[in-house]
Amino acid sequence: MAQSGKGKLNFRCPSCFMRDLDIDMFYDKDKKEYYCIRCQYTGTEQDVLEKNEMVRFRYRRMMERITDFD
Amino acid sequence: MDNTFVVNIIHRPEMVPEYAEKVTGQGKAEDIGRKALLTESLDIFKFQQETAHKNGLKVTIQMTYASLFNDEAVALAKEHHETYGDEIALSLLGLPCKEFREKYKTKDFCIWMFSMEDKKSIVDDVFGKFYERFGFYPESTGSYYMDADLTNYIKETYPMVKCAVATCWEEGPKAYHTCNNSWYTLFDGGPWNPWIPSKQNTHAPAADETEDSGIVAIPHLSRDLLACYDGNGSNFGTHPQNVLRGMIYDTKTWEYPYLYNLIDQYRHLEKYNNGYAYNMMFVGPGWLNKMGRWEQPYELLKKSYEDGMAYYGRLKKDGLLVDMTMAEFADFYRANKSYTEPECALWKDILYGSDKQIFWYADPYMRACVNMDQGGAIVDLRPYAAKLCWEVGIGTKHVQDASYPFLIQEKYRAGFFTHYAGEGTVRSAKICHGGEEVDLCLCRTHAVFSQEGKTRILTLDPVDIEFYDLTVKLQTRVCFEEGASNIRIERHVLEMSDPAADVTINEYMVACYGTTEYPEDMTGITLSVSDGTNSEEIQYEYKCREAFMAGGRTAAAVIPAIETKVSLSADAEDGEAYVREGYAFSPMFTLGYQKKLHDKEVVTTWLNLEKAN
Repeated sequence: MAQSGKGKLNFRCPSCFMRDLDIDMFYDKDKKEYYCIRCQYTGTEQDVLEKNEMVRFRYRRMMERITDFD
Repeated sequence: MDNTFVVNIIHRPEMVPEYAEKVTGQGKAEDIGRKALLTESLDIFKFQQETAHKNGLKVTIQMTYASLFNDEAVALAKEHHETYGDEIALSLLGLPCKEFREKYKTKDFCIWMFSMEDKKSIVDDVFGKFYERFGFYPESTGSYYMDADLTNYIKETYPMVKCAVATCWEEGPKAYHTCNNSWYTLFDGGPWNPWIPSKQNTHAPAADETEDSGIVAIPHLSRDLLACYDGNGSNFGTHPQNVLRGMIYDTKTWEYPYLYNLIDQYRHLEKYNNGYAYNMMFVGPGWLNKMGRWEQPYELLKKSYEDGMAYYGRLKKDGLLVDMTMAEFADFYRANKSYTEPECALWKDILYGSDKQIFWYADPYMRACVNMDQGGAIVDLRPYAAKLCWEVGIGTKHVQDASYPFLIQEKYRAGFFTHYAGEGTVRSAKICHGGEEVDLCLCRTHAVFSQEGKTRILTLDPVDIEFYDLTVKLQTRVCFEEGASNIRIERHVLEMSDPAADVTINEYMVACYGTTEYPEDMTGITLSVSDGTNSEEIQYEYKCREAFMAGGRTAAAVIPAIETKVSLSADAEDGEAYVREGYAFSPMFTLGYQKKLHDKEVVTTWLNLEKAN
């Protein structure tokens, strides 16, 4: 098995991001998956992107343009 | 001042951008002199400059040490100064380069962490090189943090320096944790908007001319005052790529209204600061890496920077923004602000949809956060009155930890809620009746801001406190009198369902001291109660003791480790003051005052801060 690399972008672990940890994942080209060296998350690029969408659940006003600050 | 929203835009040609070497160089042995890296870095700087100028915005160019060895970077700075009126300043960030490493034999790059001897040597070196290249000394400088000794040395040696980027708001243990405990920027506890640092401690504003360090400090970025307090600071600031790092954008449309909401909420702060509001944007080149960052391609990084600048540019065209260089801003600030005028921010949640509202207050004596979602409880308190001398860097007691210590910090030392045992730090009140007890921390409300003379007042919407046989409508006012070094809290009983009933109000403050989540040694703290004539003391030994004094009007704690005396006092004579020592599983102390309260009555207490040495 060859060594892992960073992948085409520095994808962070979505599971760690949820607990306010920014950790770049590494890419295992044999298994075609990203994996986190801190927690147990592994996933394809598509899975990472899907989980990143889930991460946004807490930003309920993310897409709102707010004009009233009182 | 009449509605003046000032913006500082800063760029630095950082020839070896932080992050870029790690990100772009993955899989290669470290080589900070790689030509590809140098070329890319300069290209990013050029892009940033062009984007600002295209939108009619003036820039402060903070030359880095590394860039002073680059003829093209120097020539660009000169040209843009001539053409656009940009200020040529000098950053103490961006030290790493071959020349620096060969000379100082270290990979350290944060100026505040060096020994004092090295700080002086590096400052002289960098300022000297700047003079050699430009023929004058800079008026502005900065770093992520500038400790007081460093600033004092710079001001003494280079008196023309008048402005510095001097801290990054709430960049401390939270940022450290976010970076998997590898990013050592530990400097919580400072102001979020510009201030005049004292000679004793950068975080603590000067109270008068004798304490004046001689510079106007600006924060590194304007950060979300709610999101950053709880989450990763580097996700929520007026830094477009921070917002992308936080994943606060639509991946399909590449839109990020939060960035504009954040800028606009900062604009709104003029309402609480006599018409003045402030913003700064300072994006280091590493954030515009051509390899992309944080799951985003370069195109999105670039677009977000262009959009951010375009928004500022549009505000300027509409007459809603004044762009200044750092040196211009320092002059403006000196001309329009006094030492004791506080910085106020009534801030609402603009991201999570929680409807939470908090109020931040900073002056030369304290920084405090009042949380309306917890009935007006004080959930963060920094006793600037102590003007704590806190040397940082190699050879001192605090090599990395530059935070100003807290007395209350609800995230690091719990707040109202604890797990099963013990107490957390908070300043609140409990209303007691017929064996029932209600803490105002559980009474969610909002507040309006007003100013009467030199007193800033938060008037909270009344809350209903429901007991089994009685309902009490209570209103809280939190008052900050300029220069008084105290916080006055009034509780007004507006209505009782039984006008003949009474309740007991227990005003309390649970506190400790520290800069991180972990407990400090409380031994040496003296707790006392007093009625003005008699007093009783407890020397802290973790023995869970209490002292009550009927007719007592003051409960106090002296904390030698942070040279601070904090007290809770009242003017009524029919109450009871008390103090509580903590124990090993609850390393806190409590200051309290309780008294009976009837319909239409008011109880007033003060939280006072003093230097104790």
